[in-house]
Amino acid sequence: MAKPKVAFFDFAGCEGDQLQVANLEEELLDLLGQVEVVSFREVMKEHSDNYDIAFIEGSCTRLQDEERLKQIRKTAKLVVAIGSCATIGGINSLRNDKDLDDVRKTVYGEDARLFDSYAARPIDAVIPVDAYVHGCPITKDEFLSVVKSLLLGKKPDIPTYPVCVECKKNENVCAFERGQYCVGPVTRAGCNSCCVNEGTICWGCRGLVDNPNENSEKEVLIKYGLTVDDAINKFKLYFGWQERKR
Amino acid sequence: MRVISKEDFAEFVNALIKDKSLNVIGVKAKGDKFAFGPLESASELRLDYDVTLLPPKKYFFPQRETLVTYDVTTGFAVPKAEEVKPLVIIGVHPYDIVALLHMDEIFKETKSDPYYFEKRNASIIIGINIQNMSKYCFAPQMGCAVIDYGYDLMLTDLGNRYAINIGHAKGEELLNKYAKNVTTALARDIQLVGQKKREILNMSKQKFDFSPELIPELLSKTYEKSGFWEKHSEKCLACGSCVLVCPTCYCFDVKDSTDLSLERGERIRTWDGCLLEDFAKIASGENFRPTRPTRYRHRYFKKGKYLYDRFGFISCVGCGRCSSNCLPDIANPVKLFNDMYHETKSLGVEITPAAEPSVEIQTEGNIDYVPKLATIVKKVSMTANETLFEIKLDDGSELGHKPGQFVEVSVFGIGEAPISVSSSPTKKGTFELCVRKLGNVTTKLHTLKEGDKVGIRGPFGNGFDYEFLKGKDLLFVAGGLGIAPLRSLFNYVLDNREKYGRVILLYGCKEPRELLFSEEMLALAKRDDVEFKPTVNWCPENEVWTGNIGVITTLIPQVSFDPESTYAVVCGPPIMYKFVIHDLKDRNLPDDHIILSLERRMKCGVGKCGHCQINQIYVCKDGPVFNYSKIKGVPEAL
Repeated sequence: MAKPKVAFFDFAGCEGDQLQVANLEEELLDLLGQVEVVSFREVMKEHSDNYDIAFIEGSCTRLQDEERLKQIRKTAKLVVAIGSCATIGGINSLRNDKDLDDVRKTVYGEDARLFDSYAARPIDAVIPVDAYVHGCPITKDEFLSVVKSLLLGKKPDIPTYPVCVECKKNENVCAFERGQYCVGPVTRAGCNSCCVNEGTICWGCRGLVDNPNENSEKEVLIKYGLTVDDAINKFKLYFGWQERKR
Repeated sequence: MRVISKEDFAEFVNALIKDKSLNVIGVKAKGDKFAFGPLESASELRLDYDVTLLPPKKYFFPQRETLVTYDVTTGFAVPKAEEVKPLVIIGVHPYDIVALLHMDEIFKETKSDPYYFEKRNASIIIGINIQNMSKYCFAPQMGCAVIDYGYDLMLTDLGNRYAINIGHAKGEELLNKYAKNVTTALARDIQLVGQKKREILNMSKQKFDFSPELIPELLSKTYEKSGFWEKHSEKCLACGSCVLVCPTCYCFDVKDSTDLSLERGERIRTWDGCLLEDFAKIASGENFRPTRPTRYRHRYFKKGKYLYDRFGFISCVGCGRCSSNCLPDIANPVKLFNDMYHETKSLGVEITPAAEPSVEIQTEGNIDYVPKLATIVKKVSMTANETLFEIKLDDGSELGHKPGQFVEVSVFGIGEAPISVSSSPTKKGTFELCVRKLGNVTTKLHTLKEGDKVGIRGPFGNGFDYEFLKGKDLLFVAGGLGIAPLRSLFNYVLDNREKYGRVILLYGCKEPRELLFSEEMLALAKRDDVEFKPTVNWCPENEVWTGNIGVITTLIPQVSFDPESTYAVVCGPPIMYKFVIHDLKDRNLPDDHIILSLERRMKCGVGKCGHCQINQIYVCKDGPVFNYSKIKGVPEAL
């Protein structure tokens, strides 16, 4: 059987997720035994518009992007969103509750009129997405796990439970107990609680779980000492688009 | 009782660590908290700890454990055994020791879990009497704060020395081999230990307003109490922290992880929890405990009622980990039960201890998690989404099932799913599975070809009591895929036709193109010893249907039967049971003449993983076949 052809695309984002793929090191060769990469501008010059699986990084932030996304959807058999910007709107969505003209002026100054822009959104707000690799950035392990699932014809195993589950299994001291403020209790797991393992907090980069108890989490944040505004900001960092949709 | 100075105790621990044939674990600091971990020196030990983050069960039932390895070319195998070094765990509090004894009973019920006992049997437990108690701990109230059993050695801190109670010969041997200057305790030390133990019983800051032996009965009176569970779980984050840190929680999930060859991989068991959203969800998307209050309630019932009824113990040792790990502070059993007690009392309800349950624990042999290799010998597509697979075990053995039992089917790289056997045991050499394309396993199964390999575990479950049904009139009621398990009994009855009375089959599906076993159904219509009535919910214009149109219950008035001699055997989608049972009862069929086969998420098949639980019942083991009279009072059943 011919190896599936794989292409990478980027929209508004830092390309950090593709960097994670490029950094697969020893697993990269095993992976290339299963797929043929036909387009990946971070690591190769060649490009082909003939592909089976499209990995898309970045958010959709302007109308012109939609056309490009629709074209990718038409060509690819499977579309996979990789990284927070693509899966949940990511930190790009932070700007969505600000005045867009102000944002453009801040970023582009006098040339703002040259740069079109609209509310940042995840890929699935524009085209249907078949699979997600969450995270900011994605982890190599989960990327490989999703790719293996797709190659085997299996629905990728993305947890519906929050990061606390992994934190407990890893026997971490709860971030709240360390005097920190964490949104792990409402954030989708799958990262093996990597940030909390290292002594920091969960920022929520994998997005909200399907049915988060947001009020309870905000109450917890305030109970442990955050102001109401800070608690709301905690949610905005990564959950902006999802919260707006809910 | 013995006594050892603290210096000599440290030497003893260091001597254990030095012996590389042992794996020495102890309580160490982790930030401001404590955790069991491998010891490098006795100086790391913190025997003054209050509670550890995780209980020591992680050494016997680890967070992640390979049950089976697989290779497309060679099949399934037990993972290559790592050498199991005897584990010496130092500093276990009494409540955690009681919890291990609970786990022992749970993991050996019906069949023993070999992975658990391999490690557990090779362990030596050195306990320590509590010196500092976590503010959430209520072990004294649960009778688990001081114990006289369950340990190999039990230490009590007496200032410059430890008193040592010897609980088991293994402990004494350890002392003899590795410890120096161990003396026999003097009267004052024995007295001091007694005093310390009495002090421990008064250390808890948590207080029940009633005797905890009332818990099972209190729960029974509160199951359907309007608003109670909603109120208490309103802030529940469904994060699972309370169950993941619990020393007596044992539910698990099993997942396949394939390497990049896509041909080899591992089947891994991981901790799971009944508070998590998808815990009771099945492949069709049906979730049997979809809301936070229902899952929150299940946790308390499992601990305080279901396990009590099955094993005779309340499966809570009062360690307080659930409370201390719950951010919204709603997981404190003492708070909850006190509230339950006062609310119940305020209604003027008398609460007396429940009658002691009659506990009958049987255990025989080990669980085999390794599937047998089998071959798909025939594949017949029946509808767009359903296929009949004929399967032969590669070792030439018979499946040996009873009608109504199920098997766990493994598809390489994907996982395992429970599928009921559709063929009668009278069919020899092979067996049949009628499979709907729904989840990962069944979808992949549909892409396999004749000659391809699968894995089979089982048969599991109780099956239909086909002996008891002999001489009775049988009314089969099948909705959709419900015909799959019923067919195993139906065909058995046809093969032994003279032994049974009247045989009636009512079979309904959504539309004619979804009719399963259509050729067999055509043949049935021609038999005069079977009454067969099919129905469809609707018939699209371009299809032909001469039978009944309407839901399955519209067939019930069309058959006459004698309620005295008739037994109804019912299987279908969850929604169907209520209506069918109602209409059968309307026809005066007694409750105990209604036999049901139920579907749940039967993940392990052996009554351990917890996913298929309906209140106190394990569908995989106690079912999937139930007499309606026995489960009509089980609220989650229908």
